[in-house]
Parts: sequence; structure tokens; C-alpha cells
Amino acid sequence: MFLAAFFVWPVVAIVTRGLRPSGHWELTAIVDVFRDPSITRVMWFTVWESLLSTILCVLVGLPGAALFARFEFRGRRILWALLLVPFVLPTVVAGLAFLSLIGPAGITGVELTGTIWAILIAHLFFNYAVVVRTVGSAWAAMGESEVNAARTLGASPLRALLTITLPRLRSSVLAAASIVFLFSFTSFGIVLILGGVRQRTIEVEIYDQTARFLHLDVAAALSIMQLVGVVIILMLFNRARRSRSDGSGDHAGTPLSRRARTRGERAFIGANLLFMGLFLGCPLAVLVIRSFSTSKGWGFHAYSALGSNRRGSSAFVAPLDAVGNSLKFALATMTLSVLLGCCAAWSLARPPRLLSGNSQPTRRPKNRLKIRPRSRLGAGRVFDSLTEGFLMIPLGTSAVTVGFGCLIALADPPLDFRSSWWMLPIAHSVIALPFVVRLLVPAVRSIDPKLREAAALLGAGRFSVWFTIDLPMIRRQIAVAAGFAFAVSLGEFGATSFLVRASDVTVPIAIYRSLGRPGGDNLSQAMALSVILMAAVTVVIVVIDRLRPSTSAEF
Amino acid sequence: MTSNNRTQSLGKDSFLRPWYRTAAAVVALLLFAVIATGCSGGPNGGSQSSMTQDSRSTPTIEPVLSDGALPRFPDGTVVRVVAHDSFAVSTAVLDEFTARTGVRVEILPSGDAGTMVNAAILTKDDPQGDLLFGIDENLLAKAFDEGLFQRYSASGLGSVPMSLQADDQHRVTPIDHGDVCVNFDRSWFADRNLPVPDDLQSFTDSKYRSTLAVEDPSSSTPGLSFLLATIATFGGGEDTGPNPAWLQYWRDLKANDVSVVDSWETAYYSSFSGSSGAGNRPLVVSYASSPPAEVLDTSVPADATPTGVVAPTCYRQIEFAGVLAGAKQPRAAATFIEFMLMQSFQQDMPEQMYVYPVVDETPLPEAFSKYTTPVAEPLTLPYELVAASRERWVAQWASIFR
Repeated sequence: MFLAAFFVWPVVAIVTRGLRPSGHWELTAIVDVFRDPSITRVMWFTVWESLLSTILCVLVGLPGAALFARFEFRGRRILWALLLVPFVLPTVVAGLAFLSLIGPAGITGVELTGTIWAILIAHLFFNYAVVVRTVGSAWAAMGESEVNAARTLGASPLRALLTITLPRLRSSVLAAASIVFLFSFTSFGIVLILGGVRQRTIEVEIYDQTARFLHLDVAAALSIMQLVGVVIILMLFNRARRSRSDGSGDHAGTPLSRRARTRGERAFIGANLLFMGLFLGCPLAVLVIRSFSTSKGWGFHAYSALGSNRRGSSAFVAPLDAVGNSLKFALATMTLSVLLGCCAAWSLARPPRLLSGNSQPTRRPKNRLKIRPRSRLGAGRVFDSLTEGFLMIPLGTSAVTVGFGCLIALADPPLDFRSSWWMLPIAHSVIALPFVVRLLVPAVRSIDPKLREAAALLGAGRFSVWFTIDLPMIRRQIAVAAGFAFAVSLGEFGATSFLVRASDVTVPIAIYRSLGRPGGDNLSQAMALSVILMAAVTVVIVVIDRLRPSTSAEF
Repeated sequence: MTSNNRTQSLGKDSFLRPWYRTAAAVVALLLFAVIATGCSGGPNGGSQSSMTQDSRSTPTIEPVLSDGALPRFPDGTVVRVVAHDSFAVSTAVLDEFTARTGVRVEILPSGDAGTMVNAAILTKDDPQGDLLFGIDENLLAKAFDEGLFQRYSASGLGSVPMSLQADDQHRVTPIDHGDVCVNFDRSWFADRNLPVPDDLQSFTDSKYRSTLAVEDPSSSTPGLSFLLATIATFGGGEDTGPNPAWLQYWRDLKANDVSVVDSWETAYYSSFSGSSGAGNRPLVVSYASSPPAEVLDTSVPADATPTGVVAPTCYRQIEFAGVLAGAKQPRAAATFIEFMLMQSFQQDMPEQMYVYPVVDETPLPEAFSKYTTPVAEPLTLPYELVAASRERWVAQWASIFR
């Protein structure tokens, strides 16, 4: 319902406006768009660029996930939180950082701008956290008894990894991959900044046609095309995921992460940390350094200048206010999307008629038998997978389509949200919800129904089962999902830029305002604001991660 | 256990079937969504087209000034100004307006100028604000076609030069102007004993190879202005063929390794060697008002600023304000337009938005009067021509750069 009101309705409104300008359908635009060879080129580029980004991210992210799931090392918690920093950075800021590394005058001396490599590296930078945090949290929740059994029976570590661990992680890997894919599929700022004039994605075309030329018919045709592409890809992902049983966590009580014991393990940790330092650390370091180098020399001048409204400008926002606004919106978004996401996840991962009397324990898929839980049969299953796929679509839809759609569709009562404070948290929740659902559904599914049934048998009510069994078991995933929702809201710029009210400017908006003016001090102030944003997200994510119990040892 | 057995027996062959069902269901859902809105959108769509007809007959607002004095409104009157996100004004100046008229100003930032105008067109039947500020010449024709504004002939226009008054029907009022110009990095050329290039043509000279960074005209407003500057200089704007004179100039630029980037931010902060971003290009498309921002010490003489402007490359950009059709407070909005043409607002703009006042003989702040020279003969093109040809020009440009 939420998505229907705040996503489907706006998008459909803008698409309809495009395709029936004078009250009747005009579908020639769609045909024209398909005939245009340059659009076809853009489409293919979008598809293979995002597939490549996804594969790369998963390949590189898996070792990172293993690192956090299995090893204990100094600074682990803070690093786990730091991973989300790239995720909230406004693209123009990250883009500038990358340009100073791999641009024409880059420090590294390697010029990659205008090539696919620059785009891939930047996508990796932004999406690494998605893979590591999604897969890592599932991996950490997974017991090692089967791996240990296999190892006892003589399997090599590699074989155990390939035949036991990875198949069981399949569902969370695919969840992460589908999110990365959608992000790369709708990549906008990065492609513009690093791709040069030649590389364009469908998203860029839609933006041009909507916000620049107001060719709503062409934009509508492109949006439909984008939507169809997203739906097809999501179905392929769903199919791949369903073709094996879902990975299940057995929440073993043994402490799962430990210190490195062998030299190989230490090398593994070292290599991972080196990689993160190189790919995530360098661009961030550039930003921090820039924020300290000002016209007055090295120091905190840019930070102190942030607080002074030298020209008494109406466009001035005190950085503390901007941070405060951003945090308020992010908290509202987090609450809204986690609440909605939980509802969606539980209805999607419905245990088979648990409380309706004739409950027959569904056998947990052990030994990788191809047994699917009963609930995923028949019409109910179709509806569920439909809804689940549907909940992902917002990620694959152009922000400008949603934003413009909101302007048209949400103008009249009962949905008059255009000038309401809630407009932004709602728009952000639409974007954050797919993350939350994608993270929670596999987690809820992996809960052993026996536990619920045992509790029910012992007299626990529906709510009490939920509260004492389900909630504690997936706390870790809820924390991860909440972290993502928070980060999505904190970093969102596209829709925010024209939905925000002047009185509650967010940090990314303030950054763009600084960057829009010439002068060295404006640049370092923008960088200083970015550093503040980075610090804010780190602190909040650390706090969110702390809120959950460190282990779920009670099981 | 029967159902479990069924599950198993379905095992392999049902592998695909649910997927097909999913596909069918998704298609059905999409169709349903389209049909549903088709029905509900019907009457809506109808009324919109008739509204468009109505708004063609542009309403006119009567003069609001009496004996040159701003009128007073009941306390609590609010005028909502839809503005692009570079809009800024001193809070003291806004307070002065409120003190003189009783009207409070609420600013609605709406993205960049293009996004703002398109959003205003989409919401014109129920506008978000009363007044729109920051529409430039290139966007006027579309806004007029859509009947976006009401007429208001401001009394303050008397002291605005005719060259800045693009609309003789007074649907919009000029408020400020700026010029998009190529900026140069003085020390880069001095270090190499090269003269600073003095016009567009010299950028194609081989001794200035790999020196110029410009913005993509399809994604950037200054980029578009620079494209228009080349068309105004070299001509051939009416030529729909593959070889208009201006396009040949761009081929020469490309052969001389011009760098095209997405936005002003990237060009100025990453490509340009004269900014603190320290890029490797000493020439960049920016604004006539950019050099003062690079001056750190106001004792620097005007001919020794770190960056300067290549004056013959300057293309004029005028920003207008207009009362939106359907405004809830049209008279208060018109009053704010009058106020924007008065001294306190006009004097405030340069340092707030890096633009020049339109009203004759408005004193400029020191940094401006010392470090910028008014562009005597900026390049211009008639806005009707730009509106009619802009997309073709960008497409012609793209044919050699994509």
C-alpha cells in the first residue's frame, strides 16, 4: 500500500502524462525510441556495464564478507561501520575524489576517465559495502558445524567453501547482487562524471529527456524500458535463488569469529585490509586532505568557516542544522522503512500456516535436498515472489521519474504531501525499502519453524512468539537493514534536491551549494561538510550495530 | 506428509513453472497499473488540456506601486518564491521587505534552472509557489508556450536597459545578468611565456593544444551558453546539414584536444588549473564573475588576479522572475518583483549569487568593481531562435563528440 501510494502512483502519473498528452494514447514514442540506434547502444551499454559491475563487486566483496564473518581483528567494529561511508557520499564529491586519483591530472598518473574501468572502480567503491554487509551478516549467522563435518571427513578448505558454505550463502549473495545490479543499472552521477561524454546510461537519457527537454513521451518510453529491464533481471535473480533451497542459518552457539591462527589466515586478513585501504581509503583520504588544505594553509579553517554566515545569506545553512536535518530525516526514514520492511518480510516469508491449527512441521532443507517450503507453492507463492520482486523495483527506477511523479501525483488531498515535512522521509523510504526487504526476507525464512512451533506449543501467543523467537534471531539483519536505510536517506540527493523545503536543507544539498560557487574556500568547505557527513554516518552505524547483542548465544 | 511428497515430486519440473507464472503475473500487474491509471487519469487529462487553453489568455496584474511606494498587505501574508538552488539573498534584505510590506518570503529551492522550469510546467495547474525566480532566456519560449506566467509590467523597468528586456509582453521581468566566459589561469601562461589567448579562434591554435576544458552542453547550463557563443561567433545556426561553420570550429577544437566534462563543478574544480582543485587545463568555461572569488588578498592589483576572463568569449545570460499563473498571492508576488528591482536587492545580488544587477548605475561591491570589468559587447542570440534550434544544435554537437 505504501509503495502503491508513494511509488506506483507517482510513476504511473508521470508515464501517463507522457504517453497521453491530450487524453488519448500516443504510443509512437515507444516505437521511435526502439528504432533509434543511439538509444539501443545506450541500452546495451547500461546492461553490460551493470552486469560487469555486479560480477566484480560480488567477486571482490565475498572475501571481505568472509573477513568480517569469520575473523576477529583490531578495529573490526569501526571498519564494519566505515564500510558504509562511501555509500552516503554525494556522487559529485566522490567523483571529484576519483578524478584527482585517476583523472587527467591524477596523482596515480593513470588516466582512466572516459573508460569503463573508471565506472567499474567507482561502482565498486559505492557498492562494496552492499555485498560485504549483506553477505557478511548472513555468513556470521551461519553455523560452522557442517563445514567442520566436511573438513573432518577430509574435504579441503576450498572444497568445503565451494560445496558447503557458498551454496548456503546463495540467497544472500543473490540478494546483494541484485541490489548492486540495480544501483549500477540506474547509475547517474558517476557515469556523467567519470564516463566522459561518450558513455551514457538509460538513467542519464531519462534525466535529460525529463528534467532538461521535458520530452515526457520519450522519457516515459525510456522509463518503461528501464522498468521492463529491471523486472526481467529481478525475475532471473529470483529464479536462480529459488532453484536451490534457501541458505539457512543454524545460529550455532559457538563463537564464530576468531583471531587469525595460521599465516595464511593472517595473509588473507592483510590482503583484504590492503584492498579496502586502497579502493575505499584512498578516495576518502583525498577528501579529508582537501578539507584541511585551505587558502590560509593547513588546518581547520574550512570547518570553522562553515559556521559563519559571512554574507548574511538566506541560502546559508549552519552545518549543525544541516546535520541535524539530515539525521532527523534519516531517523524517520529508518523507522518507517524498517517497520514497513518487517511487515513485508514477515508476510512474504510466512511460515506455513503456523498458527492455523493443522500445522505440519516443514522439514528444514538439510543435506541440500531440493525441498521447498510449502508456502512457496501455488498461487500464494506466485503472489509472494511477485510482491517481493515488486518491492525491488523502486531501486531500478529513475529518481527523476519518481521525483517529478511525486510533484504531480502527491499534490491533491488525500495525498497532499508536497509541502509536508514527511515528503522526504517518504521518498527516501521508497528507495530504502528494497534493501530492508531484501535483507530481512532470507533472514526470516531461515528461522527454524520448529522453534516457533515449540514456543506455540508451550503456550506462547502469536505476538510473544514473534517477540521472543523471530525478533532476537534476526536482530543482526535488522541492524544491517536499518543501517542501510539510514545511509540511503543520509546520502540521497536526486529526489531531495527538488522535494526539500528551504527550511530543512540536508548535508548533501549544502555540499552541492558550496560546490556550485567558485573559490578555493568553497571547495574545501564542501569537502569539510563531506567529512562531517562521513563522521556522522560512522558514529550512527556504530551505535546501531551496538544496539544488538554481540552474539546470539542464547541459541 | 502428503504435501511434502508433493513438493518433492514437483521438484525438478516445477523449477520453471513458477517462474513463468511469476512472469505472467508481473505482466498482468503492470497492465493492471496502466489500465487503472488510464481510467482514473481520463477526466484529469481532459481537464488539463482545457486548462491549457484557458491559460493561453494570459491574465494581467494591475500595477501595485502607488506613488512609487510598496503597498502594505495584511500581516501573515506569505509569498512563496520557486527558485533554482543557486538562489541566495541576504536575510537582512528579506527582513526589509517584510518590514515594508508585511509580506513574509518563503523560498522553495527546486533543483537547477531547467529542472525548476520543467517542474513548474508540470505543476502549473496547481503551482507550488506564487513567483518563479531564475528562468533564463533559453527556457523562456517553452515557459511562454505553456502559459506559465501572468503579465505584470513593473514600474522599476524604467531604469533597466532595453537590451536586457527580452519580453515586451512583460510576462517575465529581468532581475540580474551574468556572462558565461572562458576563464584563464594567469600564472600558467606566464610560466610558459605564452600570451593569453584572446578569442575563440585562438583556442584551435596548436600552441594552445590541450588547454581548454568545457562542459557538455547537453548536461550543463554554462556548457550550453558556450555552445551558443560559438554559434553566435561563427554562424551557421540555421544550417541543418553536417557542416555548419560553428560545427567546423568544434571539430577543430576536438582536433586540438578540448576536454569535455559533465558539469561546471567538474570543469572548474577538477580540470581547471587556476582553481584550488589544481587540474591541468589553464582555460575553462566559467563565469565573468568567477575571478574575484579566487582573489584572496584585496591588495592584489586588478591586472594580477590569479584568474581572468577572455572577454570576446562571453555569452550573455539574463535571469528573469515572473508571477506564476494560478498564484494564490499574485499581488504580493508582483510587489516582490518591484522590490527585486529596488536598490537594496539589486546591490545585494552580486556577492550573494555572483551576478550583475540589471538596474542602471547600481553600485557594485568592491571585489566586483575592482576585479571584474563589465563585458562591453557580450555575444547573444535571439531567444526564439535558441528555443527553436537548441535541441538540434546539441544533437549536431553530439554527433561529433559521441
